Amino acid sequence: MITVLWAFLILAGLGLLLGLGLAIASIVLHVKEDERISAVEKMLPNYNCGACGYPGCHQMAENIVSGAETNLGKCKPGKQDKNYDPIIAYMNEHPDEDGTKHVPTVKK
Amino acid sequence: MNYLAAFLLAIVSYSLVSNVVLSRFYGICSFIGVGNKIKSAASMGIAVSFVIIMAALICYPIYNFILVPAGVPYLDTITFILVIASLVQVVGLFIKKFSPSLYKALGIYLPLITTNCAVLGVVSENTASKLDFGMSMANAIGTSIGFLVVIIIYACIRERLESSNVPKAFKGIPIALITAGIMAIAFLGLSGLIG
Repeated sequence: MITVLWAFLILAGLGLLLGLGLAIASIVLHVKEDERISAVEKMLPNYNCGACGYPGCHQMAENIVSGAETNLGKCKPGKQDKNYDPIIAYMNEHPDEDGTKHVPTVKK
Repeated sequence: MNYLAAFLLAIVSYSLVSNVVLSRFYGICSFIGVGNKIKSAASMGIAVSFVIIMAALICYPIYNFILVPAGVPYLDTITFILVIASLVQVVGLFIKKFSPSLYKALGIYLPLITTNCAVLGVVSENTASKLDFGMSMANAIGTSIGFLVVIIIYACIRERLESSNVPKAFKGIPIALITAGIMAIAFLGLSGLIG
């Protein structure tokens, strides 16, 4: 019985320790990123399913913001009213610093 | 002195004779996936080497001084995966900070080091064959050197293949797999290197 407790304690302790280490590392090694990327990422479904061809929603958001990806329809689980429309509206309101807009469209 | 000789011999044996990719068949995924450009192959090799050596360094005391005395050595796999996953996260953050272009080139294969069986294979082998600390590190260093050397050789061959006249049916991945097979046969010749 007591060894089972040890198993719990050891795993919890290790998890906590490594989690703390990672938290510190993520602060020390923080990279400043375009804030529009995380905004667009929040508007995607965030399933990280990879159906769009990118490894996850974050990479898809990066490419939408940079203008490399213009077809939102690649995001298969996305809904017109919940995901596509807010992103199109957001990209309309937030152009690049020099004023160019990368507004994506939806082609299923 | 004897121990030092055994240590060096173990490194040669783990890197060349029982090579991680070509005779133990670990870590094939990143080997095939990233082994098409020399630069990204070399960086992948260094990233994997770092994770293997650090994982062996951290997992040895955790297994021998925490898990075994507490009577729960069956927690080894889950603990090792926990350590490896954290290490890979740190390496990922580090590369993202200091070389965003490399981060892009490695892509999905960088987080996939977590499930690279070369890493878990080394630490599991260390505990399963009850190696002492020195030999565990020899295994880790030898395996890393082996992975690094082989993935760079492989990338060199594949860069040459890109400009050569390959039959249409073999273009791309098929010829890459055949190349890996021929390399494995070539490394088989090293099996008599250490008596």
